[in-house]
Amino acid sequence: MLHPAFIRRQVVRSRKQATVFVLCVVLSMITLIALNGFATSVHQALMNDARRLQAGDIIIRSHYAFTPGLQAAVNRLAADTRISAARLYEFYSIVRTRGEDRSLLAMLKVTGRGYPFYGQVVLTSGNRFDQVLQPGTVIVEAGLLERLALSVGDTLRVGDADLTIADVVTLEPDRPVTFFSFGPRVFIHPEDLDGLGLIDRTARVHHKLLLKVHDPAQLEPIAGTLSAAADQEQERVATFQSTNSRMQRFFNNLLFFLNLIGIFTLLLAGIGTQSALSAFLKEKSYTMAIAKTVGATSRFITAHYLIIVMILGLAGTLLGTAIGMGLQRLLPALFSGFLPASLDVRLSWPAMLEGLLLGGVVVALFAFLPLYRLKHVRPTVIFRKESPPGRGGLPYILTALAIAAIFIGLIIWQLRDVRLGLYFVGAIIGFLILTALVVQIVLLLFRKIRFRRLILRQAIKGLFRPGNSTRPILITLTAALAVIFCIYLVEANLDRAYVQSYPADAPNIFLIDIQKEQVNGVAALIGEATFYPIVRARIRAINNVAVNRTAERRRRGDNLAREFNLTYRHHLLSDERLLEGDALFRPDWDGPQVSVLDTVVRMRKMEVGDVLRFNIQGVPLSARVASIRTRTKESIKPFFYFVFPEQVLAPAPQTLFAATRVPREQISQLQNQVVARFPNISFIDITETVTVFSKVMHKLSTIIRFFTFFSIIAGLLIMISAIFATRATRMQEAVYFKILGATRGFVGRVFAFENMFIGALSAILALGAAHGAGYLICSRILDIAYRPFIGDSFIMLLLPIALVIAVGMGASRTVLKKKPVSYLRGQEGR
Amino acid sequence: MTILRAEQLTKTFTIGDQAINVLEDVSLNVEPDEFLVIKGSSGSGKTTLLTLLSGLDRPTSGRVFIENQDITDMPEDTLAAFRNQDIGYVFQSFHLVPGLTAQENIMFPAEIGGDRNAREKAARLMDRVGLGHRRHNFSHQLSGGEKQRVAICRALVNEPKLIFADEPTGNLDSENGRAILDLLLQAKQESRTTLVLVTHSPEIAERADRIVTLADGRIENGGS
Repeated sequence: MLHPAFIRRQVVRSRKQATVFVLCVVLSMITLIALNGFATSVHQALMNDARRLQAGDIIIRSHYAFTPGLQAAVNRLAADTRISAARLYEFYSIVRTRGEDRSLLAMLKVTGRGYPFYGQVVLTSGNRFDQVLQPGTVIVEAGLLERLALSVGDTLRVGDADLTIADVVTLEPDRPVTFFSFGPRVFIHPEDLDGLGLIDRTARVHHKLLLKVHDPAQLEPIAGTLSAAADQEQERVATFQSTNSRMQRFFNNLLFFLNLIGIFTLLLAGIGTQSALSAFLKEKSYTMAIAKTVGATSRFITAHYLIIVMILGLAGTLLGTAIGMGLQRLLPALFSGFLPASLDVRLSWPAMLEGLLLGGVVVALFAFLPLYRLKHVRPTVIFRKESPPGRGGLPYILTALAIAAIFIGLIIWQLRDVRLGLYFVGAIIGFLILTALVVQIVLLLFRKIRFRRLILRQAIKGLFRPGNSTRPILITLTAALAVIFCIYLVEANLDRAYVQSYPADAPNIFLIDIQKEQVNGVAALIGEATFYPIVRARIRAINNVAVNRTAERRRRGDNLAREFNLTYRHHLLSDERLLEGDALFRPDWDGPQVSVLDTVVRMRKMEVGDVLRFNIQGVPLSARVASIRTRTKESIKPFFYFVFPEQVLAPAPQTLFAATRVPREQISQLQNQVVARFPNISFIDITETVTVFSKVMHKLSTIIRFFTFFSIIAGLLIMISAIFATRATRMQEAVYFKILGATRGFVGRVFAFENMFIGALSAILALGAAHGAGYLICSRILDIAYRPFIGDSFIMLLLPIALVIAVGMGASRTVLKKKPVSYLRGQEGR
Repeated sequence: MTILRAEQLTKTFTIGDQAINVLEDVSLNVEPDEFLVIKGSSGSGKTTLLTLLSGLDRPTSGRVFIENQDITDMPEDTLAAFRNQDIGYVFQSFHLVPGLTAQENIMFPAEIGGDRNAREKAARLMDRVGLGHRRHNFSHQLSGGEKQRVAICRALVNEPKLIFADEPTGNLDSENGRAILDLLLQAKQESRTTLVLVTHSPEIAERADRIVTLADGRIENGGS
């Protein structure tokens, strides 16, 4: 038999605590729904726009000229009018003014007839791309004109050719974001390609064939035919549906990381849910005791409060869904620069339902234990303060296991890698346990310290007030703050190391695509420099076991399916040392040998003596592993995964790469000189490149901090819930102080100090963890000196303290205002 | 047949690592329709004895029988039904459910028992005690005397066999206290209910059929 009035009044009477519970549920939903929905929407939009974003139906890519077999297959299909084909070349090169007094690294794109098959290249003149781009002309981005102080109609030197700037491009369909570009775009007519004199002398040319399939039903069969004709080692055939653009891959990786933060927030919100619900139900224990006194069964009590929890949970779910949907609309602005501005991102209902379901399951799990404990409420609660039922027994264990299983499952599903998932879960659990341990020790110490000032003594006592949930608050706030602080410190150190003050011993210019015969000439211009020979190759097999390219490409991070830059020399570099093997190469071995960097060994286990089979531009080469090296420090100096003896690789087709350091003010002039004499050489100013990375890094950390902030909210909600739960005790304390002569100011200061201790403790512990993790990341992984940024650390310490005090005092407002006499009257005859 | 029998009741509370014996070896019989007063000074164990006799708490050792039914180890839900149908409670601090009106508080036990006439019964009881005009007021809007009258009505709504009252006049002035006691006794008379009342007031005690005196957790006189 339900008692609707009872249900309604229970919620109304404890509306503050109920609100906190609802907000925790909202928080559980927000990040899931926002991220889930946004990711699915973007993927859907990218799929819908895939043709335009690829500018074709089938895309064939290679770092080399296309093999005759593939070319013949394409020609046959074109002759049968089953497809239209456009040949594209993309590569970096230095372009300069006619007077050779200004130069710039640019992204060149030679586009064959028909490009783009889908979407449009938009020009400022409004004219058609294929009509404007004629032999002898170029179309450029506005940035190039600004930096070289040129205008439409002026001459641009590209390689050996002088071309006229015909127009300015504002939108390129298959390059929708420019965030990651190291130079402005230059479109070149295919008839001008040979005249540039660059293709044969440029190592890093991206060859592309864009195909339009006239009968959509023929898409897969044609792609299959071309795949069969392609050289699997170096040519990749993909449809617009199956290929992942660079932007898409980057977005996938970013979302992957953000989803992990979302899961972390979900965990904290779940803890908040349980804490808020426990506090809400604890407030009701008196009412439950009376009900049991007059004969209500446990089932009656549990049923009513279960309905209350379901109503509040539903309210939180609906509100969280609405806010999550709203947040989805804001996310495109947050991700601007990483996604095409024209992308039509819509709400994804299936993704939202998935987020809803998952959030619902998590809320239900965390709500189970507080509801389960209701059956232990005894009628005698009305006579005396009973200690709560012990936290033990099978239901608690099963619930904890269920929660752990759900989160582990979520993380593994996200990472798609069981081992990595377990490492990640282990890291989170380890971090939380360590935080809990440190918190426990600090609280124990606080208990022992005898403060002389009454205000401080009372404030510390308040930390141990029954029901204050000091430990969960500290753990949650510390964990959330530690993540935010760590991200900030690592970013600040990277910025200082590479952007603010470039390492004094690191090269600041790289020169690429130097031909053998150009070495002396380049050396005469740039002075002392190290020249590294580069031979491009792929790995075909290890110990006669072929490398599975498909599986390798699915790995996160580096993989063995890509093309490598081989080199040759007979010595270790100054920042290398041997891990295995007595020398770089074995004098007692016959046949080709290779020295392998430990980074490769991390991708696939290898030992000295293993045989690697390479494909060097069509020529197979097998070499035994003679040694395994490691770098003694991470730096901007060049390094190579595979090093051969000179006699093995010297005959192979190669270019050279040079790295050197010149005074910053000389870079521009040197660039002009080198490129004027050697137009094929790409001159890269690393400091400019680093600036681009800095922009990307800053944007990324902003996005990550935005989502991590939700976990701070979880910690604050737990804090508010604890304040409400202990309101009666706080009020009693406040009234007794006032009866005994203390002012409202005194009482306020006691509460303020209590909150200050919580904020300060969380911030100090978080800062300690962040500095520790930041030091490890900077010194071990990034290999840069670590600076603690004392000033910034001080601000990071103060902000949480101020926040916690503000929230805590806000929640204690009614307690402070309570007059003693009205409190005492209220206590007579409850 | 005795309506209430207690055999060698002992109650020990453990606070930290200290064991406190509140009741020791208390045995007691109560006859149907009897008005029994349990008297004693503050801390003598009167309230604890009441909670054991009424099934609100369980003894450390000993047994309690109501109408020859051993309630000592009765499952909690069975005991709840027992409390709902056969026992009424009146407390010194009233203990009305916050958030329910006066009438709703009175109806509550009847509704728990599935009585469809709960509202009418409550209304009649309120009229009988002169609170008909306060039906829709919440407990914090009532005076002490009014709250206690509501509590008495709540105790009577299911026509219980036993009423346990713990210092029912303790928070009231003497005039209200007398009125409440008169009301309790009148209700007892009319419904032929057994009343077990805890007090330290001699004036109330002298109106009892029998007095049991507790001192330091033991019965001094007036037991079985």
